[in-house]
Amino acid sequence: MLEFIIQNNIVCHAVEAMLFASVACAVLSVIITQVQISSIGFTMAHAAFAGAALGMFLSLNPTVCSIVAGVSVAFLIGPLSDKARLSPDTSLGLLFGICMAVAIFFIAYMQTLGQGFSAMGLLFGDVISLYREEVYLLAAICIVAIIFIVVLYKEITAIIFDKRIAESVGIRVKPVYYAMLFVIALTVALCLPIIGGLLLYVWLVAPAAIALQFCNRLSAMFVVAPTVAAIISISGALVGLEHSLPVAPLTAVLFSVVFIAAVLLSPRRRVTFRKT
Amino acid sequence: MTPSDPIIRLENVYTAYEGADRPTLTDISLSIGKGEFVVIGGPNGAGKTTLLETINGMLPITHGKAIVCGQDVRGDGVQVRCRVGYLLQNFAFDPLTPFTVEEVVLMGRYGTIGLFRKPGKEDYEAVQKALQMLGIEDLATRPIGQLSGGQQQKVLMALNLARNPEVLLLDEPFSNLDMFAREEINHLLARLVRSGVTVLIVSHAFDDLPDGSVRVVVMQEGTIVVSRECSPKEVEQVVRSAGKGTSHA
Repeated sequence: MLEFIIQNNIVCHAVEAMLFASVACAVLSVIITQVQISSIGFTMAHAAFAGAALGMFLSLNPTVCSIVAGVSVAFLIGPLSDKARLSPDTSLGLLFGICMAVAIFFIAYMQTLGQGFSAMGLLFGDVISLYREEVYLLAAICIVAIIFIVVLYKEITAIIFDKRIAESVGIRVKPVYYAMLFVIALTVALCLPIIGGLLLYVWLVAPAAIALQFCNRLSAMFVVAPTVAAIISISGALVGLEHSLPVAPLTAVLFSVVFIAAVLLSPRRRVTFRKT
Repeated sequence: MTPSDPIIRLENVYTAYEGADRPTLTDISLSIGKGEFVVIGGPNGAGKTTLLETINGMLPITHGKAIVCGQDVRGDGVQVRCRVGYLLQNFAFDPLTPFTVEEVVLMGRYGTIGLFRKPGKEDYEAVQKALQMLGIEDLATRPIGQLSGGQQQKVLMALNLARNPEVLLLDEPFSNLDMFAREEINHLLARLVRSGVTVLIVSHAFDDLPDGSVRVVVMQEGTIVVSRECSPKEVEQVVRSAGKGTSHA
């Protein structure tokens, strides 16, 4: 798609993948941080990681397995909290531990069997060996995430404001909430191979956290967060590939630096006195 | 609508929170006509908020029948909630909450606008009208998190008024308000009742109730122990005496 600007195929694919993944994660990061479900995002990322490891062990498509695992966890959280009478926080802690255990078990077992599997790609991402189809898939999930937010903007904003108020004004909160989790799970699973299970969380939280330092309105956050994420991710990809540095970890560091700068420069935290 | 054709009708209703061992509300029967002003009193934990949430279908009814605005609450609570305003108690928003007052009040219209549709001209007009009714139109573009507790309370009240509700359920609406704001809200409630809106209010402040006939409902341990009409000045007396001993009237 961007071959007319970047001639090198590897670099082009990497930049495209980082662009689509960052925009998809960033628009969803606004939902994740504002509905305060960042623990869910974190757990989903690790569920997708476990799913991918299991898929590799069973010689199944790791992407499909990570989607199934991420979505399953998303739909397990609510019922598990209700039926086991646990707080969502405890349920998430439990699921996170189980997911990590499953992933590590299969990775270790495959190494014992001499299958030579390296978990590094799944843990920290890999943008070098991407197929064109994978980039198209990321473009598709990016479009799905944006359409989801545009179409259900009213309902999403009301839920972000307050779930109980949203319910009291006649919004069907549960279906919209579960649709949110489904889109997040799908995005997490598809972004996992390029960003990595351990770093994905940065993409799901940092863009919105940065945007919140400058935006008074949610609508502005939905524009600023993906814009900032795209700029940081493309910069990370270009600098990383140019200097042979790991792209996803470098980009995660860039996100952290920009976040700290945003907090320091935020006009929303500044107290000003005007003498009248 | 006459009292024989009530806007709220509860018949032997039992309500339980999910996972609870026993019902929170027990055998509630209540019939409220259009344009009635109802004060719900009783000690903490008596089930006052639960009663409001049962009426607008936010809690599952395990037994009995609840008809609100002609709709069966057990069938489709969402349809009921589109016609019933509900002011929840104890809200305080973070200073960084990324919503302006106008955006928050517009949310009151979202249920009636429906899925996949955008707010139209009439929705924005209803928002302006609600803001004017509460005298907060000058706050429209301010972030809600930067307002005082009383102003935030008024914004949530405007959110409910923007829906043109047939029934207004208010849970401790005076909790964050100063005496002037209380007076304003009381005048507003009296005007709404005169225009045919049914108002149910959970409150511990009985000194500023609007003039006219008031129905007092007193609850204890999840059941109604008193339900009778009286003048606003008698409300506190009725609630107090019900607290000393149960007296059905």
